[in-house]
Amino acid sequence: MSTPTINVPDVPYLDISDPSFAMQSEALRSAREQSWYARTNFGLAVLRYDEVSKLLKSPQLIQGSAKWPAHNGVHGGLFYDWWTKNLLVLEGEDHHRIRRLLNPAFSPRLIKELVPRFQELANELVDAFIEAGECEFVRDFAEPYATRVLTILLGIPESEWPKIARLASTVGLALGVTFKQDLDKVEAAVAELYEYAEELIKDRQADPGEDFVSRLVLANRDGDRLSDEELRNALVLLIFGGMDTTRNQLGLAMQSFMRNPEQWELLARRPDLGGKAVEEVMRTNPTVTWVTREAVEDFTYQGLFIEKGTTVHLFTQSSGTDPRAFPDPGMDLLGEHAPHYGFGGGVHHCLGHFVARADMSEALPLLARRLADPHLAGGDEWLPDSGNTGPVRLPIAFTKRA
Amino acid sequence: MNTIDVDRSLCDNHGQCAIAAPAVFRMNAEGILEYEATVEDALLDEVEEAIDVCPVQAIFLKN
Repeated sequence: MSTPTINVPDVPYLDISDPSFAMQSEALRSAREQSWYARTNFGLAVLRYDEVSKLLKSPQLIQGSAKWPAHNGVHGGLFYDWWTKNLLVLEGEDHHRIRRLLNPAFSPRLIKELVPRFQELANELVDAFIEAGECEFVRDFAEPYATRVLTILLGIPESEWPKIARLASTVGLALGVTFKQDLDKVEAAVAELYEYAEELIKDRQADPGEDFVSRLVLANRDGDRLSDEELRNALVLLIFGGMDTTRNQLGLAMQSFMRNPEQWELLARRPDLGGKAVEEVMRTNPTVTWVTREAVEDFTYQGLFIEKGTTVHLFTQSSGTDPRAFPDPGMDLLGEHAPHYGFGGGVHHCLGHFVARADMSEALPLLARRLADPHLAGGDEWLPDSGNTGPVRLPIAFTKRA
Repeated sequence: MNTIDVDRSLCDNHGQCAIAAPAVFRMNAEGILEYEATVEDALLDEVEEAIDVCPVQAIFLKN
């Protein structure tokens, strides 16, 4: 019954924890041509579009990160408690119940109301560096934009964004390979975010309005409500999941457009293509380079026996540029393409994607309209391609257009 | 009568509608969406939530 995959010569092998491992490489493209999956040092990697699409929604796979703290020797504490009770790792009815209560606050109709604020914010940030003809794009735009969008959503003073950014990044260390060493810092940051979230919840409970947090506080489904702990966990998840990802994706968007200047010019002329710009960037250059799943039972897929407990990495960029699904896989804002999986998929599809889509689809055309000919100015630094990638520093130069 | 229409050319079978409105939408054993074509008024709130939450916005309601 079991078909061992070790030492099968026609199945490619990828060392995904090698810091030089590159998603957009000849090695990966040739692996994708050779086979729909590869073996890795951490389970399987799925490389092609159809297989990623199917396995992402397979009931035989669950979200694979629940045991992450335990894998790193962390068996208790604030981060552990939060992680094991947050929507990201919950399954079945426990997950569905929380998701039903959170969903209405993330309605695309409600998010749309925030668009003028997003535009105002993007213009304010560009105003600060436009005359200089250069900027450090992460520091001067991507990070403040991503974080201040969160403060707008949460209804907290925008001036507090540096603190929120610092806390979110510190909790993010928990997903890195140095988690155990960083544990004290992570615990302190979770404690501070808890306090922040608890104060926010108390405030809205006392005086609810029409804002996002009030909607969560008032959320009610057939008499069922979110407990204070569930509300707090959800707000921390929003900060944790919404900041780094959007910052990194905006940096990657700038990289994509610098490589495709004719697409940047098109976007400058056609701001209505902002939504398409987000989809194309996320299809061809996603920050979330893989989505992790774990087999919940033994099963066979396309002749491959997958044993219960196997980790399965669904590769997003590789699937989004698979020539079988995208005969002309390059970035094209006017093309009609199948959906990408940069927001994951299935029951764990990104909860905040309407927010991310709305804020990035305002930011990108606005940048294109104001900055002509953006190009690398030297000194850029990048995260590795494993997990969540993007620029740490992205100095660019440009010509002021408006 | 309220009629539900799912644009199958858009539907990507994520199953978010089945979480939001389990009385109307469900995923079959193959992971493909099945749904009630018509619904009572009492289920309209659930259906509205399913429409909102659909990642590809493929669900439409005709009253």
